[in-house]
Amino acid sequence: MNEKHEDKLISDAKRLTTRISPERDLWPDIATAIAQPSRSRWTPMLAQAAAVILLVGASSGVTYLAVNDDAPPGEVITLDRLFQQASFGGLHNLGPDFQDARSNLASKLDQELLRLSPEVRAGVEENLQVIRDAITEINGALELEPNNALLQKILLKTYHEELRVMRDVGALTQSVMSRNDI
Amino acid sequence: MAALLAAETSDYSPAMVSVTQQATMDEATWIARAQRSDAQAFESLYRLHVDRIYGLCLRMTGNVSEAEDCTQEAFIQVWNQLAKFRGDSAFATWIHRIAVNAVLGRMRKSRREQDRIQVATEASTSPASVGDTANLRDLSDAVDRLPQGARHVFVLYAIYGYSHEEAGNMLGIATGTSKAQLHRARRLLAQQLKQEGFEA
Repeated sequence: MNEKHEDKLISDAKRLTTRISPERDLWPDIATAIAQPSRSRWTPMLAQAAAVILLVGASSGVTYLAVNDDAPPGEVITLDRLFQQASFGGLHNLGPDFQDARSNLASKLDQELLRLSPEVRAGVEENLQVIRDAITEINGALELEPNNALLQKILLKTYHEELRVMRDVGALTQSVMSRNDI
Repeated sequence: MAALLAAETSDYSPAMVSVTQQATMDEATWIARAQRSDAQAFESLYRLHVDRIYGLCLRMTGNVSEAEDCTQEAFIQVWNQLAKFRGDSAFATWIHRIAVNAVLGRMRKSRREQDRIQVATEASTSPASVGDTANLRDLSDAVDRLPQGARHVFVLYAIYGYSHEEAGNMLGIATGTSKAQLHRARRLLAQQLKQEGFEA
């Protein structure tokens, strides 16, 4: 192999045609595609997550009424404040302190659940499972797209719902999970 | 033959200057209209550029079906991103980048590359060689048999005339890597053509 031969290769390559017509007209498929409204690849997942949030919100509301219907009005714990300064590891996983506090809360919840009737307990556990499945799915999505602000917001909202259910069921005070724990 | 080659391989010959100027004016108008969601104007842009985009996709993939898919994907992306086009570079260059991304994205997703290589090896004439004159078909076939990395660089640098920096940017590789891949491509091509008794 010599330089002269190599240079001829390049000069020959420059003579190769750069314009090749497709064997069929590709436009009709393109026209059909661009006629559809543009959709984000996360749209189905976000729609699914939003649907889960609605379901979770409704079911946790039912749970609240079932187990805590004598709670004084206006005693709404501002969970947003709890999360306000929560550390996000990799933007989507709440910090280890939060996860520890969450595990402690879940353990206490298990004890509290024993005080409920089997029927109510089954409903609560089912609702919590829906929430936790949603958390797993959203975390999975965030691993692929960690900077997706909407997914982060939905994740936070889902954690809120989980805490709300746990709080309502156990009648646990906010001191169980203060900002110092997070 | 020389005249035929010149006509075939030159994109903008002097005789075409006025036509090209008119096409440029039309293109600017079509871009502006397409940016306002005018699909008819976008079809005009498609007709103007499809041969070069399809040619690029076919050279890079070596497979008619994948080249068609990549071409369609590229133009759909162009439509979706058209609002971002500010004219900082030529429209043709801009859509070339999108087409290269479409090819790379498709190849990342697909494991059919190995199948493609096998098919290309078995085929007597590669699909990309259909537009080439007879004495260049051996070279075109040999390019098609190059490994993916070397082929992509060779297609962008040697056939489409991009610099190593431009090719590297398009392919997401360093300029030095582009140079190394070109060197590899030249070596492999020379070996292939020598084995086949082709004297360029």
